[in-house]
Parts: sequence; C-alpha cells; structure tokens
Amino acid sequence: MSTVAGIKYDENNRYHRFARTVVISAISLSLFFLVWWAVSIIAIKPAIPTPLQTWNALVDVYLNGDRMTGISLGKYVSSSMMTFLKGFLLALAVAVPVGLILGYSKLLRDFANPVIEVLRPIAPIAWAPIFILSLGYSTGPILVVFVGIFFPLLTNVVFGVRKIDPNWIDAAKTLGASQLQVFYKVMMPSAIPYVMNGIKIGLGIGWMCIVAAELYATPLGGIGFYLAEQATAGNWPGAYAALVVIAILGLLTIGVADYVHRIISKRMGMAV
Amino acid sequence: MSQEQDKEQTRPESPAAALINIKNLRKVFKRDETETVVLENFSLEIGKGELITLVGPSGCGKTTILRLIAGLTEPTSGEVTINGKPCTVPGADRGMVFQDFALFPWRSVRKNVEFGLEIAGVPKEERREKAEKYIKLAGLEKFIDARVHELSGGMKQRVGIARALVGHPDVILMDEPFGALDAQTRNIMQVQLLKILEKTDQTIIFVTHSVDEAVFLSDRIIVLTKRPASIIEIIDIPWPRPRDRADPEFTALRKKILTELEEENVMNN
Repeated sequence: MSTVAGIKYDENNRYHRFARTVVISAISLSLFFLVWWAVSIIAIKPAIPTPLQTWNALVDVYLNGDRMTGISLGKYVSSSMMTFLKGFLLALAVAVPVGLILGYSKLLRDFANPVIEVLRPIAPIAWAPIFILSLGYSTGPILVVFVGIFFPLLTNVVFGVRKIDPNWIDAAKTLGASQLQVFYKVMMPSAIPYVMNGIKIGLGIGWMCIVAAELYATPLGGIGFYLAEQATAGNWPGAYAALVVIAILGLLTIGVADYVHRIISKRMGMAV
Repeated sequence: MSQEQDKEQTRPESPAAALINIKNLRKVFKRDETETVVLENFSLEIGKGELITLVGPSGCGKTTILRLIAGLTEPTSGEVTINGKPCTVPGADRGMVFQDFALFPWRSVRKNVEFGLEIAGVPKEERREKAEKYIKLAGLEKFIDARVHELSGGMKQRVGIARALVGHPDVILMDEPFGALDAQTRNIMQVQLLKILEKTDQTIIFVTHSVDEAVFLSDRIIVLTKRPASIIEIIDIPWPRPRDRADPEFTALRKKILTELEEENVMNN
C-alpha cells in the first residue's frame, strides 16, 4: 500500500492496478496531444495541422467519404483489409510448412539459410515498385504484405521447432512414435505458440507494408491511397486523418493477434 | 571383479530366461579430437519382472545404459537385445520415464497417458478406458482433464509413470525419475511406485544416485564405477516390501554401498 497524490494505491488489488494503467495512459496521451498542438501552433505550417483540425477531417471523411473521389472511408478500409488479409494468409500458408520443415531438417536448413539471409535484409517496401509494376495493382500489394510477414513468421516457426525439448521427442519415440508421428504429434503442436508469436510480429510489419504499397497502387484505393491523395492535394488534415485510421487499424489487428496468442499459449500449456 | 563373477554364478536366472541381454557394450562419444569413453565392455542380464537399479557416481554413464536399451542412442560396439531382438531403434516395448517428466504440455493428463495408445492405433473407447484405469492407479482421477502445468512435480511424474505403463511395455526404463523432487515427495513416490507395481508384473530398470532409494526399491542393485562404467558389485535384495529404512539390515547395506562408492571416488581422483 502506498499513497500517490493523496490517493491510496494497492499493488495487489487488480482494480487499483487497472486504474493506475488508465490514469498513466491518459496522462501520457494527453501530453502527446498537447505537444502536437503546441508544435502545430508554433510552427504555423499547414503541413502540421492541429489535433482539432485532424479530428474534423476525420469526422468529415467518415461522414461524407473522400470528397475528391466520392469513395467512402469504409470502402478504403475494407480494400486495405482485403489486401492485407490475402497477403497474410499467403504468408501463413507458405511460411508455416516451410518453417516446420526447415526447423526439422538440418540439411534443408543449412541449404536454405544462405538464400534467406540474402533476401531477408531487403526491406519489404523495396519490393513494392517491382511487384506492383510487374504484377499489377491488385497482386503487387498483396505480395509486398506477403514478404513483410513471411520472414518474421518463418524465423519464428523455425526457432519454435528447434526449441523443442529433446525429451519430448525421446518420450514420443519410446512410446512407439515414428519420425512422421514425432513431426506432427510433437513438433507441430509445440511450435504453435511460436507460430502465433511470428504472426504477431508479422502483423505489425504487414501494416507498414500495406500502406507503403498502396501509395503506388492508385486505381484500387485503400487507406494508403487516400493518404497519398490527400497529401498530394495539400489537404494536410485529411492526410493526418488517414494516419489516425492506419494507427487504429494496426492497433486493432495487433490487439486481436495478442489476444489469440494468449488464448492459444494457455491452451497449449505454455506460459506467456 | 571376482566378487562380480561370484554373484553372476549364484544368480538364479539362466541366460535363456533373461529378458534383456547386454553384451560387451562400448560407447564412445566423439567430438572433433575429444573422445569420451562412457562404457567399456559392459555386460548385464536382466530377468523378467525384476526391479533393478543402477547406482553410481553422477556422470558415470548410467543414463547412457538406459538410452542404449531404449534405442535412443547406438552403441559403438556390443549389443543390447530384448526378447532376443536387438534394441537398435526405440519401440513401444521399452517405455521410459524421464527425470524432468517430459510430459506434453499441450495435452491434458488423459491425453498424455493416451499418447502411446494413439500411436498404436488403439480405438478411442478402449484408449479412454485404459488411460482411465492407469490414471486411477496413479491416484490422479481428480486431475484427469487437468493440464500439465497445473500439477505438482510428484503428480507430473505419476502421469509419466502411467503414460509408460499403459502400453504394457516389456520393460520400463526410469532415468532418475524422482531426482527433480524434494526429499519428502521422493519417499512418498517410492512407496507409490511399489504400490502401482504390485498390481503388474512390470520389469523395471531404475537409474538413481540415491543409494537409499536403490535399497528401498530394488530386487537387485548394480553398483557402478566412475566413467567408463563397469560393475563393482551386484547385490540381490530378497527382503519383502515395504522395507523399513530404519531397519539395521537396511542401514548396513546402504552404508556398505556408500562406502564402495566413496572408495571408488577416492581411488580414481
């Protein structure tokens, strides 16, 4: 029990801990908006709108859609979400099986590693112009998201398989399991929490990629397109409103992934 | 060495009756220029239904002997056979219980015990029935649907034992199964193990470095030297169970083995 600003605080009380988080977060965010507001006032540059101007632009695009193209905010968001989802599922479909196999076989891992190490440092966004101009506006951004999510996911799956307690494998073998059974009855389930961790990291990177890719992908819309359009037109509050939307979507996706990760890890008997 | 041969000759089982036959086993671990000889010319016969313990200084190669019988590692030379068949690969005829339990945390208690039956293709209903029987035998019926992390160390190892027993292996290899438990739990587990075994005719090879544990449990104790492990003495213990740890005969035997092990340590240092 301690006293903060005249209020009694008990670390062992869950409501007290929750209230503490809320209060500190509120102070932190208020300060952020205050600094933002002060900077925009002092700079007097149209490129830095005040929080209020941004809020108004956000309400405007929410109520009236994009005034320049007539496309609704919902359409932009769903377009981005679809691209994101496709890239994500593609990455999942490729990275998980490949990661399981590479984690399992040292030979294949040693064989694949040089290629992976050469490709991994290339920023996913760097692929954007190439994918989009060679594969088109719909496939291109999907592949950019794919690349963004693929590598962190792959690394985590490989790590997960390799981190398996060797005793589990021995136990399975002495219970009569074949190599194949060891693979899908021990290695696969024990890698699931690592797959989830990879997904969590991948999702964050994926959101950066989708917006960057959409900056190129003019005809098909998306929230990144709206951002580029507003900035090009000099409508800075609109561009900032787009940033706010992107931040919220990113937070939501990661929040959901975090929640699923917790549930699964608990189910799989691994503490988070 | 002569002591060992005397014992061998007075052993009641003839080699033909032996379940497990370990012959001239040699195991060398090699890494670059470093060679570690863990076993040298190691031979032993184990009869059906015996509970034998291997005691010896830590790092002497006890675990390696178990792993060789389990087929989890291959001998450099020599042979291990069970029912006349070589133990070159692991199989469900040789169950194992691990010091750190090695339970699958993503499975419930029931599903852990059912693992081997699943592998053997036992139908679902029969699997449930058998698993329940052994979970009950291990005194864990209240925890049948619990997850591994909800159990205490002693309970975890009872799951490990039930998991090994349920498939009726010819032998269960126990690698310091109570080594991770506190002294009190350890004593309780020893009593419980014997209770569980009363109802089966299970052959057990038990590795421990607790002499007390060995004297309490064994039909036969194999006292081993430091690495490379060879046999100092084989001691038959025909006493009935449960045994009284305070019994003068018990303490005398324990002391004798401890002295042997101490001499072994001093001699080779």
